[in-house]
Amino acid sequence: MNRRGFLQLIGATGAAALTSSCNRINSGVGTPSSPTHLIRFPEKTEMILLTDRPPQLETPLHYFRQDLTPNEAFFVRWHLEGIPASVDLRTFRLNVSGQVRNPLQLSVDDLRSQFEPVSIIAVNQCSGNSRSFFEPRIPGGQWKNGAVGNAKWTGVPVKSILDRAQVSSGAVDVSFAGLDAPPLPSVAAFAKALSIDHARDGEVMIAYAMNDRPLPMVNGFPLRLVVPGWYGTYWVKALSNITVLPQVFSNFWTDKAYRIPNAPNGTESPKHLATDTIPINRFNVRSIIVRPEPNETWHPGRPNEIQGVAFDSGHGITRVEVSTDGGATWKDARLDAEIGKYSWRRWRANWTPERRGEYRLMARAANAIGETQSTEQWNRSGFMWNVIERVDVKVE
Amino acid sequence: MGLAAFIGGCGQRSRTSGEATHDIALVDSAPIRSPEPRIPVHTIALPHDEPLLPPGPGREEFVAACVVCHSPRYITMQPRFTRSAWLGEVNKMKDVYGAHISDQQVPQIVDYLMSIHGMPDPAGTSTAASYGE
Repeated sequence: MNRRGFLQLIGATGAAALTSSCNRINSGVGTPSSPTHLIRFPEKTEMILLTDRPPQLETPLHYFRQDLTPNEAFFVRWHLEGIPASVDLRTFRLNVSGQVRNPLQLSVDDLRSQFEPVSIIAVNQCSGNSRSFFEPRIPGGQWKNGAVGNAKWTGVPVKSILDRAQVSSGAVDVSFAGLDAPPLPSVAAFAKALSIDHARDGEVMIAYAMNDRPLPMVNGFPLRLVVPGWYGTYWVKALSNITVLPQVFSNFWTDKAYRIPNAPNGTESPKHLATDTIPINRFNVRSIIVRPEPNETWHPGRPNEIQGVAFDSGHGITRVEVSTDGGATWKDARLDAEIGKYSWRRWRANWTPERRGEYRLMARAANAIGETQSTEQWNRSGFMWNVIERVDVKVE
Repeated sequence: MGLAAFIGGCGQRSRTSGEATHDIALVDSAPIRSPEPRIPVHTIALPHDEPLLPPGPGREEFVAACVVCHSPRYITMQPRFTRSAWLGEVNKMKDVYGAHISDQQVPQIVDYLMSIHGMPDPAGTSTAASYGE
């Protein structure tokens, strides 16, 4: 027997997700829809339950038929069990310290009233979104395509905060840590860092509002870091500490976790693991088919709209092509108007299937600097999935 | 082989649904509004929905070592893995995250994981342990 995983969900006889030839690293076929377990967390709507403690909640695909992902449906992912469940805004402070001449302790009210607010519409995607599609299978959050969302983030650029704190010369990195606490002293507290130039590029920001409302607690209330165009691991939730450092930041979550092969699209093979790795960083190009959903049934002779989203790290999606015949022929989809450089771009393609049968729909996107999607992909952590998507639809 | 039954704890707020829904009504339903905090203290109660684990050798060691940090769903949401893959994961928990697992308990815990969520090792293969989450 070769290395194939069987997806088995709670309380169900699992729907086996068998892919094609065992010689190929993966086929990119979405797993057939299996019974999902939905759960409603506080301030959230019903979401797909991956784990409850610490929570990993996936967004049902139909929410991506909107420009902005509602707060109550936005995906949730924490690493450490001690997630904040109560915040007192009277005593909460964002601490800014380290290589600064003017250390700060700012309340949320200070941030709202003392700094010029900015808003940015930006996609947040988990590094491991779509991990369940990799073959051979990889341990970790077994997401389908729902660990992603597009929201309007409002708050203060980190640059403004650092300017007020007066960064000393010799600053190299800026680390960001939140209120969440590890379950054991041996588990590293979650913190990530950006280079000083990246942190103060004017786009990296601290959000106190999401889609014009306070963040849900499980999405990082009262503040989270927003790093447009970079994977979600950097978007530290319940942000409470900013530290300017005179050297490159070092911790478990940077040195051991969240690393990718230093190779095109972070790719390696299971038998030849890369020895040179770097921290995960900016998004690759992706498109996700939102409609039809896996195993949906459509009717012959009726016009339908294939729908989806596409995004990259901020250069701009320029093209999405759709196939309804398993990749034999391709047609350009219509792109919605651009909302912003870090927002996703919705796309649509009309299709009237003539005959009954099973059809394999595919979608592939390209961006302004010529980046496209992969046909084959693997890395040991299950990160950065961007294989050309396939969804099978029955027409009857 | 039924994997788990759900604990009907206080405030159980989950259910199992059928196929992924594409019901348009859900898209149009009124959004749940969370009000601007008028009181300065914002508090939520986190729900519990941990699966009940079936009996088997190694279950006690598993519960003692693992559930202190995370729900068993971290195991049950995975695909079935081979013994070598589960061994890699348990060693990662022990060596990297400092889980309180003695050398003697490692194979006991792996035995339990194999009994609830394992598949046979194909000959001559292993899965590299990763730190990716």
